Amino acid sequence: MTRAVYLDHNATTPVRPEVVEAMLPHLREGFGNPNSAHALGQGSRKAIEEARERVAALINADASEIVFTSCGSESDVMAVYGAAQAGFNESAGKRSHVVTTAIEHFAVSGTCRELAARGFEITTLGVDENALVSPESVSGAISERTSLVTVMTANNEIGTIQPVAEIAAICRARGVLFHTDAVQGVGKIPVDVRALGVDMLAFSGHKINAPKGVGGLFVRKGVRLAQLIAGKQESSRRGGTENTASIVGLGVAAELARKDLDAHAASLAALRDRLEAGALSLDGVRRTGNPALRLPGTAHLCFQGIDGHQLVVGLDLDGICVSSGPACHSGATELSHVLKAMRVPDEWGKGALRVSLGWGTTEEDVERFLASLKKVLGKLRQSATI
Amino acid sequence: MARVVVAMSGGVDSSVAAALVAEAGHEAIGVTMKLLPGSPTGFGCCGSPEDIGDARRVAERLGIRHYVLNFDEVFERSVVDRFVEDYVKQRTPNPCVECNRSVKFGALLRLAEAYDAPKVATGHYARLEEGPNGVRLLRAVDEAKDQSYFLHSLTRGELERVSFPLGEMRKPQVREKARALGLRTADKAESQEICFVPGKDYRGFVRSRAGDEAFKPGDIRDASGRRLGTHEGLPNYTVGQRKGLGLSGGTPYYVTKLDGPSNTLVVGSLEEASSTRFRVGRLSKISGALPRSCRVRIRHRGDLHEAQVEENGPEALVSLAAPANAVTPGQSAVFYQDETVLGGGTIEEVLG
Repeated sequence: MTRAVYLDHNATTPVRPEVVEAMLPHLREGFGNPNSAHALGQGSRKAIEEARERVAALINADASEIVFTSCGSESDVMAVYGAAQAGFNESAGKRSHVVTTAIEHFAVSGTCRELAARGFEITTLGVDENALVSPESVSGAISERTSLVTVMTANNEIGTIQPVAEIAAICRARGVLFHTDAVQGVGKIPVDVRALGVDMLAFSGHKINAPKGVGGLFVRKGVRLAQLIAGKQESSRRGGTENTASIVGLGVAAELARKDLDAHAASLAALRDRLEAGALSLDGVRRTGNPALRLPGTAHLCFQGIDGHQLVVGLDLDGICVSSGPACHSGATELSHVLKAMRVPDEWGKGALRVSLGWGTTEEDVERFLASLKKVLGKLRQSATI
Repeated sequence: MARVVVAMSGGVDSSVAAALVAEAGHEAIGVTMKLLPGSPTGFGCCGSPEDIGDARRVAERLGIRHYVLNFDEVFERSVVDRFVEDYVKQRTPNPCVECNRSVKFGALLRLAEAYDAPKVATGHYARLEEGPNGVRLLRAVDEAKDQSYFLHSLTRGELERVSFPLGEMRKPQVREKARALGLRTADKAESQEICFVPGKDYRGFVRSRAGDEAFKPGDIRDASGRRLGTHEGLPNYTVGQRKGLGLSGGTPYYVTKLDGPSNTLVVGSLEEASSTRFRVGRLSKISGALPRSCRVRIRHRGDLHEAQVEENGPEALVSLAAPANAVTPGQSAVFYQDETVLGGGTIEEVLG
């Protein structure tokens, strides 16, 4: 069997060899606890702080504003729960309102539900047919009781990029903290925390060719968060002995991403456009999302009257890895919360296919995908008519 | 290497079926069918929420691919809706027949074809035999497990694309095989309930779907019209039922008929609950015309009755050599000649 074509980079990415190489010494001889006083520990500490510099450079933060976590989800929970709870505590309960959107990752939406169960008021903003959140709706939702607004940078399913800078400016003017889940944005599009004016920004290692099990949160200097994991590590923001090897890997991945960000984005967009054009030439196919404001490597397609998961399985049997929605939803054929929020009709939305390109994707991959898609789609349509 | 889709419910039978397909050198693709919205598969025969995990783990153990695929819409439409509708129409449905017809050997078979898999294998206990006139469907070697009754509606064209690896095996052998392979499902209990009905409360399920108006109380009468009591809604009863009628008296009463138009539950003696003639609809035949005389089974694992069959287009009239107890509209009548399933249909009407 030939090599599988991997076009599911929004689910996870391959770890780049440079990243693996950089990590290995910290899984072998460099195993010291970065919090230890001895030389072995100091070696680990140095490696972590270098990684922090590299990650900070990718998003134009100060290294002291980077908190390493176990994953993007933890970063989101740390930000949303941490800011909401701190705001509540510091205002003696007066600030107990959080504004979010209908298209957030479960790490954010699930935390908001948990906050609601604890008595917080949550406003969930809708989106337009391209999944865009309007800054005016954010402005309208903020009240004197609001402590936090959280809006994702780029959507994991359809890739729509939100007007984060505009929303952040509104929040700042109204004295409300702003968090953005940038797990799908960092390393793929320019993300500059100063230019955006955000207070918190979550990112993840395995979406940018670092391993799973490491992520981080940018926390602007002076922002106070209730702590999720008690302990003195990470400037007392997050307890737990640091995952040295993976943090080092994340640092290297961040540097690699920063070096050729624009060129890489442009070449991915070109491949994606080619893939999309090929797919859209078939019958009963529609593109979802805003064609302009979106991630360069993400194509989201809907196939009329098709079960998206059946299509994914058919493509997998043909050696093509893609998904019908977020990896967490596999198996279900229900419309994703994002497509529901965009009011995509059932007959299209159930046939959703997310094709996400990334480091290592070639023209040949795109051609193989298109050939398989045509074949599998044709067979599924044929079997559906019997 | 031929690709074979194996329907894996997470039970021991389909686990071993998958193992046998893989051992035979085929490219086995495990598929667990999600039949109900919400819960991963079903509640009973087709898997509780844990069963999906068992199927996945068995597939991992066997080194085959496994997918969960959604069939809830076709299942709802062709099995669940029909099940409720049958009860409302004073019939006692056979959802497993319907599921085989429309879902397992309908939608799944078509999907397998789209996936370039010429065959679908299941853990059913039945045999297939190639003969000069094409494939034949035979009873399983294990009489106690034989499921050929539920498979009668498959056409020959469908049977040609199906495989029943367990047909030659007995249940203890199947468990032994599972144990030998270290499959976690080896000692898993059987479940006999209807997979889409929570608990065993099919009445509650029908009521939740059809509403209280389908459960209007009415008279219980004997054949002479004498009123004996009050029933709690006809969907609560099935022909041949003796328990739960709430009638006292010397001789036991059996349900002989559910009369919809008058909302009457007719009861009588065991003889009155027996019949010899009935009409079969939705007739399907595997190997051409039915012989004039053959044997018929009127319920799963029921007796094989000697019968005369008169075909009439999509229907058949069946006359039994001796009266059979509880010929029940909605149940399947399946025709056999020796080991071979000739075809079958749905009992539409009892004629006497």
